[in-house]
Amino acid sequence: MSTRVVAAQEGRDLWIAGRALLLVFAFSVLLSAITYFTAIDQTLNFLEQKEAVDFTLQIAVGVGVLVTLVVSADGISGERERGTLEALLLTPVARRSIMLGKLVAALSVWLAAFLVTIPYIWVLGNGVSLVTKALVLGLAVGTLVATGLALFGLLVSARCASNKASLAISFFVLLALFAPTQLPGGLPRGWFFDVLQRVNPVASGLQYTHLILVTGHSWTRDLSYLISPVVLILVAGALALGASTRLVRLFPGVNSV
Amino acid sequence: MGTFTLEADRLTKRYGTRRAVDTLSFTTAPGDVLGLLGPNGAGKTTTIRLLTTILEPTSGDFSVAGVPASKPTEIRRRIGVLPERTGYPPHQTGEGFLRYHARLYGQSKHAANDTAERLLAEVGLTERGGTLIGTYSRGMRQRLGIARALVNDPAVVFLDEPALGLDPAGQVQVGALIRQIARRGTTVVVSTHTLHDVEELCTSVLILDRGKILVAGTPADVTRDAGVTRLSEAFLAMTGTDPR
Repeated sequence: MSTRVVAAQEGRDLWIAGRALLLVFAFSVLLSAITYFTAIDQTLNFLEQKEAVDFTLQIAVGVGVLVTLVVSADGISGERERGTLEALLLTPVARRSIMLGKLVAALSVWLAAFLVTIPYIWVLGNGVSLVTKALVLGLAVGTLVATGLALFGLLVSARCASNKASLAISFFVLLALFAPTQLPGGLPRGWFFDVLQRVNPVASGLQYTHLILVTGHSWTRDLSYLISPVVLILVAGALALGASTRLVRLFPGVNSV
Repeated sequence: MGTFTLEADRLTKRYGTRRAVDTLSFTTAPGDVLGLLGPNGAGKTTTIRLLTTILEPTSGDFSVAGVPASKPTEIRRRIGVLPERTGYPPHQTGEGFLRYHARLYGQSKHAANDTAERLLAEVGLTERGGTLIGTYSRGMRQRLGIARALVNDPAVVFLDEPALGLDPAGQVQVGALIRQIARRGTTVVVSTHTLHDVEELCTSVLILDRGKILVAGTPADVTRDAGVTRLSEAFLAMTGTDPR
């Protein structure tokens, strides 16, 4: 029950205090701009309709995951800096429940970002019966990647003495993971690039959606691309929840001894 | 470990080579108000953080309300704490804040509502319970923090610098609250620099310096043994902070 109580309060803090609303609003503005330019390219025949859907979905998943990561990276280090963590640690709630509650709250931001994405994909994909496939893919792959990176953000947040450091590390890690997905398609790509793509949970997840939406592969043919997002969830989850007692604590000098 | 509400046995906390708390041993009984005194860096906050399970001791043992240190979750169920310089969510109402903390102790929504209402009345915040904490004065926040420390009806309450930054009226209010808590039979451990309050409120005091107990006893005993008339004079003489 304590996980539910923490998650509900964290959710209220995120949505009522306005931080999540602001982030999702910024996300929808960005998505509007991307969709507008993609639609123009599509009209001018620079982009096929399925490529337009895939491109917008990639941006939606990438930025949606970034927003989720920002929220989770603030989860513990932010509370430490604001001096509110100690009161939480003094309750009988297990550290694991605190981590889980924060994870659920962070994922609510991803789900909101995904809901915002639906009308954009519907507009771009209408007419080629691609909408349902794209949305199911986006939800499945995006939730996998968002969960893994939210757990990673919580781990970084728990380990960093400063909130700024936690946010900066998380942001740059995501940037490094997302950048390869935006390389021009015509570049020569050998086995080394393929390995790099497969170990990168963001790039491999987005490649999976690309292969299904654009290349027309079946859902089961390229499942191996989902190994790295699943491994990230398992490893980050085991670390975040298994070592929560040592991770969720005060640091000397940060509202502490 | 017996029937004491607090029992510390050679409690020690080291950071590298520095001993923040050094072989502390003491006991308290139900209804006691124990004052932790000492100059800055004496180890008062570290002692409270050890006894409230926020920090792990380097060595030594303790029990709180009969629960051994090896069961930190059980200890946390039986204590209430006002940490030093604690933060409050500014966008939450006082009532919502207390309700949330009552829920964290396993209370149902209905029971948590009742608890929040009762405690707001006890600390004199009923009229401001529905307003955002961000609009509260420092004194109101301290009273809200004390109310939060009471949501689980604890056997031992730890108050770390409860009068810090308060005006005289706020200090009087906090003093009255401490008396009220002790009258229920709850043990109160209060860390403070306000020696006048200690003389009035505390049934016993521990004067700490560099993590060690310099002297322990009732305020009257400590004053008499030091050969002075006021606790503040005894404190200054013992800690070597007397400017004269």
